[in-house]
Amino acid sequence: MSYQEKNITVSLVNFTLILGFYFIRVFQMIQGGSFNPTNVFRLWGIVIILGIVVTILGTILTHIVSAIIQAIKTKQEPDIRDIQDERDTIIDLRGTKITYIAYSIGVFLSMLTFALNQPPLVMFTLLVFFGLLAQVIGDISRLYLYRRGF
Amino acid sequence: MGKSRVRNNIRKLRFFRDEMTQQQLADKVGVTRQTIIAMEQEKYSPSLELAFRIALVFDVPLDQVFSYDAEDDSN
Repeated sequence: MSYQEKNITVSLVNFTLILGFYFIRVFQMIQGGSFNPTNVFRLWGIVIILGIVVTILGTILTHIVSAIIQAIKTKQEPDIRDIQDERDTIIDLRGTKITYIAYSIGVFLSMLTFALNQPPLVMFTLLVFFGLLAQVIGDISRLYLYRRGF
Repeated sequence: MGKSRVRNNIRKLRFFRDEMTQQQLADKVGVTRQTIIAMEQEKYSPSLELAFRIALVFDVPLDQVFSYDAEDDSN
């Protein structure tokens, strides 16, 4: 598995966990009757900060853990090659395109809630949900492209 | 998706260059080993620039490294 694939796998795990956390928190709010703008927007903040911090930490940890595993395996100075070549760039671009398509569909579905006479809070809640889901779908498509080839 | 129509002799050419490793070739042309593997398995068609760089490493004309399978076009 290349460095890029490891990074995408870590991102996929992170965003799946954040998506799960978000889903559970929203569900708890609805169950507990605390589904109001203050709590929802606080959750927005937590999720966005979590996404940024976890992505940065994940990248650093991937680097460190890869180096340690390689050093143990080869018993030599670790040689981490994290260059991004043309294939990595194309896969990244295709993944980004899929992420945008998924998010666009998500935004459209979120807007539909207005047509169904739902309050704006539902739309805002769904926007973040589909944003996280689009990131997960993008990561899965990148991994698929690495495995399957194109 | 899947197999590319661009065929190549990279594996054979590596063999005739004293069994050059995929990593050595990758370092010489400035890509990752995974990209060389994908090309050898015909899962990835390189850019024209990378194709020329690979041909230069083996010191052979481009058409001795890469060829195009036109049969699929007629189907």
